[in-house]
Amino acid sequence: MTTPTSTLPARPVPPAKALRRLFLTLFLRGRSSRGLQLKGAPKSVGRRLLSVLIFYALFGCIALTLAGKPVFALAIYLHGMTFVFLGMFVSSSAGEVLFNKEENDILLHRPITPQALLWAKISVLAEISLWIAGAFNLAGMIGGIASGGWAFPIVHAASTVLEALFCTACVVMVYQLCIRWFGREKLDSLMTTAQIFVSIAAVLSGQVIPRMVNRFGDLTAFATHTWWIALLPPAWFASFDDALVGKASQSSIALALVGVLATAGVVWIAFVKLARDYQAGLQRLMENVPPRAIARPAGKSEPRRRWLTILVAQPPLKWWLRDPVSRAAFSLTASYLFRDRETKLRIYPSLAPMLIIPFVFLFQGGQATGGTFQVAFSGAYLGIVPLLAVSILRYSQQWQAADIFRVAPIAGPAAICNGTRRAVLLFLALPVALVFVVVTAILTHGSQLLLMLLPGILVMPIYAILPSVTGKGVPFSLPTEEGKAAGRGLSMIGALVFSFVIAAMAALSDHFGLFYWFLGAELLVVTLLYWALRHALAGKRWEAIE
Amino acid sequence: MIALNRLTKVFGTQIAVDAISFEIPPGQIVGFLGPNGAGKSTTLKMLTAMIEPTSGTASICGFDLRSQPLEVKRHVGFVPESGAVFESLTGLEYLEMVAALYGIDAAAARERIRQFIAFFDLSFETLTEKLLGAYSKGMRRKVVITAALLHNPPVVFFDEPLDGLDANAAVGFKSLIQTLAEEGKTIVYSSHILDVVEKVCHRVIIIDKGKVLLDGRPDELIARYQADSLERLFTQLTGGAELERRAQEFAKTFRS
Repeated sequence: MTTPTSTLPARPVPPAKALRRLFLTLFLRGRSSRGLQLKGAPKSVGRRLLSVLIFYALFGCIALTLAGKPVFALAIYLHGMTFVFLGMFVSSSAGEVLFNKEENDILLHRPITPQALLWAKISVLAEISLWIAGAFNLAGMIGGIASGGWAFPIVHAASTVLEALFCTACVVMVYQLCIRWFGREKLDSLMTTAQIFVSIAAVLSGQVIPRMVNRFGDLTAFATHTWWIALLPPAWFASFDDALVGKASQSSIALALVGVLATAGVVWIAFVKLARDYQAGLQRLMENVPPRAIARPAGKSEPRRRWLTILVAQPPLKWWLRDPVSRAAFSLTASYLFRDRETKLRIYPSLAPMLIIPFVFLFQGGQATGGTFQVAFSGAYLGIVPLLAVSILRYSQQWQAADIFRVAPIAGPAAICNGTRRAVLLFLALPVALVFVVVTAILTHGSQLLLMLLPGILVMPIYAILPSVTGKGVPFSLPTEEGKAAGRGLSMIGALVFSFVIAAMAALSDHFGLFYWFLGAELLVVTLLYWALRHALAGKRWEAIE
Repeated sequence: MIALNRLTKVFGTQIAVDAISFEIPPGQIVGFLGPNGAGKSTTLKMLTAMIEPTSGTASICGFDLRSQPLEVKRHVGFVPESGAVFESLTGLEYLEMVAALYGIDAAAARERIRQFIAFFDLSFETLTEKLLGAYSKGMRRKVVITAALLHNPPVVFFDEPLDGLDANAAVGFKSLIQTLAEEGKTIVYSSHILDVVEKVCHRVIIIDKGKVLLDGRPDELIARYQADSLERLFTQLTGGAELERRAQEFAKTFRS
């Protein structure tokens, strides 16, 4: 071996382009790989992104039904839905993209400014946001020509770019402020909370505004009962369209200006003003604080046991988790649900917005006369909690550690999936179901409607076991890039359809006085189906790792 | 070349690095030793401007760590213990990306990369076709070492650089750092493989609980403390003397 000795001049070239290319490659190709060759690289994210973009483009075709309606009505629908998709995508991706602990060892000792690093990441997030927004708005832009003229696609494209920038900047700003105001100890939980609120706000904006348009008509008129519309971002960007190619009323011009100024302000705060704090945030992630010694009670030689260990060792969990492998998987899953920053950042912000829809239905059911369908629908939709949670728990940055499941003398994944499923049912599905029962009881004054939640709750175990049977239930076994949030819309649609069917059957049976018969039949079908699925799961063997 | 003056890092209420001071001149290979949690990695991360010191100062090649962090970063190379890389890039993509961050143009970078892969016995095809996620630990370590030296830095920090390298590569690596030091580069070498440190380093600094315990030439320190080797000296100083007896007792527990 010969020692390389030539000297190269170190020229300070701005590394922005290299960084941007890096983060786009990482996003599309994923951050980790088991593939052996470049040709066999995991293109799944890129491929999935393409399929998701096609899905969004098709979903956006619904906007064609609004063709010919006033510009504002069409634009508010498009911007409301875009806000939901972008908000969910950016908020669920931002944590991993902005604060990836592993990349600190690779990048933080290189001569790059925190601003350059931040800008590179943000530009990639914004670019992908624009792809999603562009795909969804494509049909609407064409449909808008009927009422807004040929300039509508250009104006709407401009307002969509503004909205994507606003969304990205808002999420980044929330993260930066968390870092600025709070220490590392609180950072993880705050980031999770912030992400949950951003996701909920995005879904609420997308759900509320189109409903309000139908209810109140012209929202840009600033009537006394619609003053609050000025607070909702999608209305600003819809007003942008309305001001330039629509009615151009004073209120829409004012709201459009609010949108432009708010975007400029948030972009400046997030990308310029707070960029210095970005480095501080990254550094805090690297600080390995040695664990504090746990105080032992006087006279005790054993260290204090964690609540989870105690819980699992006591009845009824002790009886429910008799199999030691399931018990271990249960403890592992529960620990990650409560302690792991990355898991928390993915699971809670993904679940929270999903619950908006059943809550909206629940409130409608509580207020409406009858309301059986709405309450039954919200109950049935609850099944998405275990379905989605088990699916999301498959992904982890420590996915390679899951090899231990295969190394252990276990024939198949059944026992591990069982433990994970039970943790999800106990710690996520059960609390949510209890909240729904309480809310329904309050809204319906404890009426018979409460029973309408039962058809949905009964079917929950089926939802929970489905991912395991289809080979998607082994926890923490896949790299996070395989499960980008952009594809979650498909699960939502599937759950919506199934919930609709269950709710319709429950409402119909109630209408004809056959509800208890329906409940009995459902119980029988669910029991048989669950037994068959359990049997299928027990027979599953490990799939080969490529 | 490197000067630390009461450099301190405090995490919450815990002092990870406690006012350490020393200087390292050009051309010296310094073994930076200490038990787990002694503050080695924190010190290296401060010296590479990855984390900010709580107090104290340090300079590298005359550049102040606090006021000129980018200049410091331009003049140091760092091989972190984690050996982290972006696994979904090929080796070549990764190294070209790193070169771009130091402002090295693609042609010069590729030439330099060719020199390194020849040195490390890697094939160019491997570098262009395989993703880093599929590399063995040793191959990945070679790429990380290459990435640290690509911009020809005057100061290089190695944190467990031999981890994963096979015997031949390890011998070549030791020869490499000795040659680099002869050319005037300053090498800070943190490792738990103490016989290598003893053979390669001109000087060792042993820290424990964030404080410098010893600083001197390995042979002089061994003679002064009448130890058989650097390893013995290290265990004497850091409370590892009882380990052999405890290991034997522990091994007995496996008897059924």
